[in-house]
Amino acid sequence: MLKKSLALGIVSGLLAGIASLVYAKVYHSSLGADFSKVARTVGILAASVFGTVLAALGYWVLNKWLKDKGEIVFNFLFVLLSFASILGPFATKLPLDLEAPELFPGLVIPMHFFPVLAWHTLKPLFFKQPPGTSK
Amino acid sequence: MRLFFYPVAALIVLAGSAFTFIAAQNWQVADGYSVAFSSDDASGIFKGLKGGVVFDEQNPAASKFDVTVDVASINTGNGLQNKHAKSDEWFDAAKYPAIHYVSKQVVKTGSRYQVTGDLEIHGIKQQVTIPFSFQKMATGGSFAGKFTVNRNDFKLGNPGGDVGEVIKIDLSVPVTR
Repeated sequence: MLKKSLALGIVSGLLAGIASLVYAKVYHSSLGADFSKVARTVGILAASVFGTVLAALGYWVLNKWLKDKGEIVFNFLFVLLSFASILGPFATKLPLDLEAPELFPGLVIPMHFFPVLAWHTLKPLFFKQPPGTSK
Repeated sequence: MRLFFYPVAALIVLAGSAFTFIAAQNWQVADGYSVAFSSDDASGIFKGLKGGVVFDEQNPAASKFDVTVDVASINTGNGLQNKHAKSDEWFDAAKYPAIHYVSKQVVKTGSRYQVTGDLEIHGIKQQVTIPFSFQKMATGGSFAGKFTVNRNDFKLGNPGGDVGEVIKIDLSVPVTR
């Protein structure tokens, strides 16, 4: 189960990273705001994969520990932590040569939700039914 | 006719040299300037520096600085802080859109200079002395100066709080003729 969780974490992280890069491209071309100096391609991909691999470990631990309730607790925590993480972009102090820092949260906040979306999108491909549950 | 030739020629030369003298003292603010501020918990820069600079190293007493900074150009690196800084609690950019400095006296102090003038921020005028240096370059020059202001003197924010009351200002202004 750990292997499946980690595989889901890595694949969903990559998907979230790709979605984030597409979104960054659209954001830049539509608003003209260029934050590529602080939100680099490698950084976005690495952060997305790191987040979902961390989620995979949490998923495995919670399902081991809480059995049937592990799934719901995990879902709740994943969404809650994604929400809580949006405080980060609001508090971020950017280099002063970057103009319009007001537009920075609009770029990265959606990216904070892509990992949870990618996870739930791909999860049925890895787990036919929640690991803690039995028919 | 000959009688008038030399006086007229002298007058033309004199007028020409006076014009050259005045023109040599006028400087334009070039790109790449920096108006930075810092204090405990807050730091940033202003863009939108405009104005007239008349400066002559040989005759600092004849110098004149009349510059403005666009308050709305403040950049602290954080969008929320920028919005807060422009609000009526701090700079009130809607009501007081510019920071204005007009010199009254420029003197040479050793290898550096010192300008004294009125600094108007948030609608309040205070006399401020700024020590500065001037480095002449091939096509222009560069002014650099540092000074401090107490934000309470300009009623910026509330006394106390997280933001330090003494604000350090760091200026670096390249100029061209």
